[in-house]
Amino acid sequence: MSSPSNTVVTLPEKVRRGEVFEIRALVRHEMETGFRHTEQGVRVSRDIIREFTCTYNGEEVFRAMLHPGISANPLFIFYCRAVKSGDLEFRWMGDNNYQTILKHSIVVL
Amino acid sequence: MKRNVGAAFVTGLYLAAGAMGAPLDKRQSAYHLMSSENQRMQDDLSINPAMFWLLDGQALWMGQGDARSKACFSCHGDVKTSMQGVSAGFPKVVHGRILTLEGQINHCRVEHQNLPAFEYETRPLLSLTSLIATQSRGMQIKMSESREAMPFIERGRFLYHQRIGQLNLSCAQCHDDRAGQRLGGVSIPQGHPTGYPIYRIEWQTLGSLQRRLRNCMTGVRAERYDFGSEELQMLEVYLMHRANGMRVESPGVRP
Repeated sequence: MSSPSNTVVTLPEKVRRGEVFEIRALVRHEMETGFRHTEQGVRVSRDIIREFTCTYNGEEVFRAMLHPGISANPLFIFYCRAVKSGDLEFRWMGDNNYQTILKHSIVVL
Repeated sequence: MKRNVGAAFVTGLYLAAGAMGAPLDKRQSAYHLMSSENQRMQDDLSINPAMFWLLDGQALWMGQGDARSKACFSCHGDVKTSMQGVSAGFPKVVHGRILTLEGQINHCRVEHQNLPAFEYETRPLLSLTSLIATQSRGMQIKMSESREAMPFIERGRFLYHQRIGQLNLSCAQCHDDRAGQRLGGVSIPQGHPTGYPIYRIEWQTLGSLQRRLRNCMTGVRAERYDFGSEELQMLEVYLMHRANGMRVESPGVRP
């Protein structure tokens, strides 16, 4: 688990070279669809994450485009092959200049 | 990070003395009505969205965010040890009044921290409630049956069996008489409050038992009792007593 407290990313600390490991990336976000109205009838403007990427030592290994139909606090579980020790960088970008970046180091044995 | 915390729920035998409602061996948490994906989301805190509230709760516990007063930590110490099993005995009846877990938190806020009470269903109150409730995860609900508590349990039982709303239905008609049958596309659960506060996927957020109870009142087209009202508190007491001996699942996930 990692800070900041609006993300929970889980991956093994150490992996053997060549091994496939699981990455779980959960982010706190309301994912306001833009289709809802307040009780007064005013439309609530859209506020969603548009893009999620993961890079491994600078190389992109996962990318997802998000749409208004995706739930609040989106969770991605994906897999990656261990090549060498280094950093995984997770980046969530969205409406209203939303951006959250998290770095996580990994040791490859 | 602890894994497989929830495995105990799957195989856990619900033993209890003096519990009400459905016969003991037939009591079942709505956990068992969920898909395996949702069960996994509850069991594994690394993918349970309630984790964000737990992290907030931990920060509040340590006093981050409010420098005006001492922190929960300065009296209670580590939440993992001091709050272990605490929520399994809430709500309590103290000095002739019901004290819910939320009420106890606010009591501490006002009396010992000299801070204003949290409003119901606000993020900080839900965060602290869920942090404390999680320390009882896997433990048996242990409600008091003292002479002081029984009148409130009985009044809660009365409310549970009282027909309300335009649909003229009582809680019991669905959650006792028709539990396990279907309402539209979903199974009707027995209504045991074992996992509160829950992350409800329908809500897309975390919510309290009282929010859930108000939800049902909207469903039967009744006028909803206010948050923190005596009626909702009595229902909470009755429902927790009805679930005596069942395992705490907080932070629960429900569809």
